[in-house]
Amino acid sequence: MSDRRVAVTGIGVVSPIGIGIETFWKALLGGAKSVGPITQFDASGFPCRIAAQLSDFSARDYVPKDYRKAVKVMARDIEIAVATAEMAFRDSGLATRSTDEQKMQIRPKRLGCNIGAGLICSDLNELGAAINTSLTDGEFDMKIWGKSGMNNLTPLWLLKYLPNMLSCHVTIIHGCEGPSNCITCGDASAPLAVGEAGRYITRDMADAAAAGGAESKLNPMGMVRQSMLGRLCITGDADPANACRPFDRRHAGTVIGEGGGVLIIEEMKPAAGRGAKIYAEMAGHGGSCDPAGIDVLKPNAGGLGQAVKNAMRNAGVGPEDVDLIVAHGTGVPGEDAAESAQWFEALGGSAGKIPAVALTGAIGSLFAGSCGVGMAAALMAMKDGVVPPTANFEKPADDCGLNLSGKTRQADIRCAVCASFTVGGQSGACVFKKVP
Amino acid sequence: MRRRVVITGMGTVNPLGHDVETTWHAMLAGRSAISKNELFDASTYPTTFAAQVKGYDLAAQVPNAARHAHAGRHCKFALGAARQAWLQSGLDRFDRLDPTRLGVYLGSGEGSLDDINFTYMLAHAWKDGRCDTAKWAELGYKLLNVFREVEQESNMVVAHLAAEYGARGPAINVLTACAASTQAIGEAAMLIRENDVEAVISGGAHSMIHLFGVMGFNRLTALSQRNDEYQSASRPFDLTRDGFVLGEGASVLILEEYEHARKRGAKILAEIIGYGASADAFRITDQDPEGDGAATSMRLALADAKVSPADIHYISAHGTGTKQNDQVETRAVKAVFGDLAKKVPMSSIKSMCGHLIAAAGATELITCILAIRDQILPPTTNLSTPDPGCDLDYIPNAARKARVETCMSNNFGFGGQNNTLIITRGS
Repeated sequence: MSDRRVAVTGIGVVSPIGIGIETFWKALLGGAKSVGPITQFDASGFPCRIAAQLSDFSARDYVPKDYRKAVKVMARDIEIAVATAEMAFRDSGLATRSTDEQKMQIRPKRLGCNIGAGLICSDLNELGAAINTSLTDGEFDMKIWGKSGMNNLTPLWLLKYLPNMLSCHVTIIHGCEGPSNCITCGDASAPLAVGEAGRYITRDMADAAAAGGAESKLNPMGMVRQSMLGRLCITGDADPANACRPFDRRHAGTVIGEGGGVLIIEEMKPAAGRGAKIYAEMAGHGGSCDPAGIDVLKPNAGGLGQAVKNAMRNAGVGPEDVDLIVAHGTGVPGEDAAESAQWFEALGGSAGKIPAVALTGAIGSLFAGSCGVGMAAALMAMKDGVVPPTANFEKPADDCGLNLSGKTRQADIRCAVCASFTVGGQSGACVFKKVP
Repeated sequence: MRRRVVITGMGTVNPLGHDVETTWHAMLAGRSAISKNELFDASTYPTTFAAQVKGYDLAAQVPNAARHAHAGRHCKFALGAARQAWLQSGLDRFDRLDPTRLGVYLGSGEGSLDDINFTYMLAHAWKDGRCDTAKWAELGYKLLNVFREVEQESNMVVAHLAAEYGARGPAINVLTACAASTQAIGEAAMLIRENDVEAVISGGAHSMIHLFGVMGFNRLTALSQRNDEYQSASRPFDLTRDGFVLGEGASVLILEEYEHARKRGAKILAEIIGYGASADAFRITDQDPEGDGAATSMRLALADAKVSPADIHYISAHGTGTKQNDQVETRAVKAVFGDLAKKVPMSSIKSMCGHLIAAAGATELITCILAIRDQILPPTTNLSTPDPGCDLDYIPNAARKARVETCMSNNFGFGGQNNTLIITRGS
C-alpha cells in the first residue's frame, strides 16, 4: 500500500519498577516487583488495599523550566504522559522544541502525536474542599455551590481532567504541529494509538510521531470502580508483591498500577539516514471488538484474537514468524482464560509454543498505559535477545496455555506481537519486526 | 487506485430534534433550542441555560431499549442516532457484511458523574480538611451503581453500538474535545481507504450539561452568561458574543467503501474526499492567535481531497461564539482561501443547537450533507452586530439557497487539536 515504513527510534517508560527505559528494563530482567500496601491515601476501607505505586515521581523533573508552572494543571495521568514522551524523544535523538530546539530538523508540521488515555479521576481533596464550602445543615447545597462554592477551584480545573491533554501538553512542549489524537479505548488505547500514529507516517501525513498510552487509576474513585467490577485482587494483603499473578494457577484478580509507555516512531529512511538507532519496524497493527463486551461484569477479551489477526495480516506475517507474545494478562481469572483462548484463536497451536510474557505481576495494571509499557518491553527483548520473566507465574492455570515463564529466557526475537483488551470489549495489537 | 469512502446513512439526536429531518427544518427556520437549564438546579451558576435534548425516549428509537437501560445519557442519544443511520444505510437488510470488516469509530465524551451521590459522598466523607477515604469507600460501595460508574469510560458508547450491530472490526473512541467526532470520522474514513474495513459506524456523542461540566466551563469563562436573553445567547461572529452555549446530543454516520455500497444498491448520500488534522502546539488555554494550526488542517484536507479553495461551496464553521475562536477561525479561513474567503459562505449551526462538544463535528457534517441534498445553506442566527474582526459571509440570520456540491467542515478542540473534513455529492 505504501513504501513508507515505520521505525521505532525512541522509548520512554514510567513504571512502578523504574522510570526510564534502561532502569525499567534492568529491573524487569532482575525480577523486580512493585506491588505493595497503598500509601498515597488511606485504603483501609477498600477490599483491595494494595497497588503498584510510583514513588517520588513528578513531571516537574521532565519538563522545560519555563513549563514547570503548567504541571499544576496536570492530573497524574498527564504528568506520566509528559515525562514518558520527554524521555522517549531524548532516547530517539530526534531534536524537538524541548530537547534541542536549535538542532530541530524535522518540520513541526510533520511531527504527530497520539497518546491513549482513560477516564481521569478527580483529586478528591481539591474538589472536596470546594464542595465543603457549599453545605447547608451538613448537606451539599447547589445554590451555594453555583454562587460561590465553585469559585474555590482553579479556573483551569477542567483542563486537568480532559484526556486529550496528555497529547496536547506533549505537542506544546515538543512542538508537534502534525496530526494529534487521543484514543480513549481503555486498556486497548496504547496499541491502537501507536498503530494509528504509524498510519500518519505510511499515509504521508507525518514523518515522525510520539505515540503510546498513560494512566493512573490509583485514586479512591478508580479503586471503587474497579473493585465493583470484581476485577481487583482482595486477598493480597499478606504478600502484596506476589498478589498479581497473570495466567498462574493462583491468579485472583488484578492490582492497580500507574505508568505508561510512549514510543517515537519515524519514517524508516530518514531515521536510518540520520543514523538513529532503530529498535524495530512497527510493521502492522489491528483493532477489533467483541459485541459481548457490553456485559461488563462478564470476563471478555475483546476479540483480541481478531485484533492480532488483523495486525499480523497488516504486517504480512504468519504464526510461524512470531517469536514473542506480549500478553495483556490482567490476572483476573476469567479474563486470563478468555485472553489465552484468543491467542490460540489467532495463532493456532503456535500460541502454546511461542515464548510469551505478561508484565502485570511486576507493575500491576496500567490500563491505557499497560500495553505502552508492554511494547517497550517487546522492543528491548528484541534488542537484547531475551524474554523477560513473568513475575509471579509459577504453574499455569488450567485454561491458560501460553508459554510463559517466571525466569528470564534467551531467544532470538525477529518478530514480536503485543496486544491488549479492555472492559467494554475492544482490543488493539501491534506487530514489531527486527530490522536487519 | 485509492478506495473511496461514501456515507450511506445518518442519524442525530440533538437539542433541535430527535431525527435528521426535524433538526434540518428547525435549522432552516433559524430556531433556537436554548432554554433554562432543566437538568439540574443551575439557578445560581454564572450560566443558567443550555441547549438540552428534551423528551427523548430511547424506546421509541430502538427495539431493545431495556438492554441499554444502564447506558449513559449521551450513549442513549448515540443509540437512537445509530439506529436511524443504520436503517437508512440499508445494512439491516444486507446479510453479506463480514462482521470483522465492520468497525466502530466514535468521538464520544465521558459519561456523566453520578452527581448526587458523588457530592453527598464528598460532603459526608470529609474530615480535617481532607477526604476521609475510608469513609468515602464505605459510602461508595453503598451508594454507587457499578454500571453507572463503568459507563463513564468513554469507550462504552463504542461497546453499546458494537453490541447493537454485531461489529467485530476495529473499534475505537477518541476524545479530542470539540474536534473529537470530526477526527473520528476522518480516521474512520482512513480505515476504509486503507482497507482495514468495508464499513464503519462513526460519529460522536456527548453531554456535559451536568453540575461539573457547566462548572468547569464556567470557571474557564468559556460560556455565555447572557441569562436574560438566553434564547439568542449563542452569537457566533457577532460583536456582542460572550461565549458558547453548552449543548448535548449524538450524531452517527455510516461510512462505507464506495464499491461495497454501489454493489448492494445503497443510496449514496455523500462522499468523504478530504481529511486534515493538525495541532496548534501553542497553549492549553488559548488557540494560536494567527490560526496557523487551523489553517494547516484546512490545507491538508484540501490537498487530500485534491480540490482547491475555489471548489468549496460552503464551510461549516467551528464558530463557537467565544471571543477568541471566531476571530482566529476567520483569520485562518482568510489565510487558506485568500481573496475567495469573503465569497465562500460559512455558517455556525451552534448558534441554534449550541455546542455539542465531542458530538459537534458529526452533527455539523450531517448539515453539510443536507445542504448538498437540498441546495440550501443553514444560517448563523443572532448575528446582528458585525465584528470588524469577523468580516466574512456567515449567512446571517436566514437560510440561503445556493449551489452546493462540495463542503468543508472544521472543528478545533480545546488544547489545540484541529480537524477538517471535505465532502462532495455522492455519485
